[in-house]
Amino acid sequence: MTRWFEDIAIDEPFPLGSHSFTEAEIIRFARLYDPQYFHLDPDAAKAGPLGGLVASGWHTVSVGHRLMVDALFAEADRLRGLGEEPGVSGPSPGVNHAEFKAPVRPGDTITYTLSVTSKRPSGSLPGWGVLINAMRGVNQRGELVYAAELVSFSKLRDFKMPLGVKLMLALGRVPGLGALVRRN
Amino acid sequence: MNPVTANRRHYEDLRLGEVIVLGQTTVSKDMIFAFAREFDPLPFHLDEAAAKQSLLGGLASSGWQTAALTLKMLGDSFLNGIAAAGGLGFSDLKWKKPVMVGDTIDATATIAELRRSRHHPERGIMKLNLDVKNQKGEPVMTMSLANLVELRDPNAPMVDEAQR
Repeated sequence: MTRWFEDIAIDEPFPLGSHSFTEAEIIRFARLYDPQYFHLDPDAAKAGPLGGLVASGWHTVSVGHRLMVDALFAEADRLRGLGEEPGVSGPSPGVNHAEFKAPVRPGDTITYTLSVTSKRPSGSLPGWGVLINAMRGVNQRGELVYAAELVSFSKLRDFKMPLGVKLMLALGRVPGLGALVRRN
Repeated sequence: MNPVTANRRHYEDLRLGEVIVLGQTTVSKDMIFAFAREFDPLPFHLDEAAAKQSLLGGLASSGWQTAALTLKMLGDSFLNGIAAAGGLGFSDLKWKKPVMVGDTIDATATIAELRRSRHHPERGIMKLNLDVKNQKGEPVMTMSLANLVELRDPNAPMVDEAQR
């Protein structure tokens, strides 16, 4: 998120926008990253499990990620426009789970929404918080096609380094004393 | 019978614990730029100067690109040889280390679970554990993928995996 950890509201839906999947881009993605016949070949796909060409689930995921990046940049610009300093997000450690709930076919329009479902200060990275994010993609008929739980980091605005840590860092910079302090 | 998959291995032919070597892919600057422009336009995937200043210290591929390139190897070396019938999703995806420009990733898949689908008795669910390393042998990504696979004999009775 582009908001500071303290400012992130739980379960507030953050709309990311929509994308319409064309047959040409479904095939192009499949050729590069997921070359199975029901993502690649409209004729062969008719005999396949879904009765026609469908987008790779990873294509649906990748487009959702792109819309998220764009939305976060737009939110940062909006905050700057209000005279506020946007928050800082860190690299994602991973994804807890993701489900492809229904096929995405050529011509379908998927609308994505992100919300933070829980947040806690990180135990391993002082000054950062861990966010659990729910990502959802819904088609033009309102059917859920994609749901995922993404993990991310967000910086704390009000982080104060504990006095002990500050003291050790300061002492570590004193010649001679540094080696003694670091040994502990 | 599906003519596309008739001569491929089916659900009945898969064995728990089977390890599939997926091969290697070297990640070039052009590949990183092409994926990032379309799906992950962050400065450390798109701009070498900005990437040097970032936490990663250089140009790195999007984590989603690492996943997509692994999937390509999985399709070429395994899924296109079995009667795969689509992905259900994935879990426990962990990006352990960034993939930097010029790195070669090396992947294996292990069949970690096989069970019949209750909703579609003509299909089985196969879980694969994917393990991706770089050229130094360091883990860069792991995840578990769930895929449907057609049965050769859709009327085969449901049996417990332990009995196979």
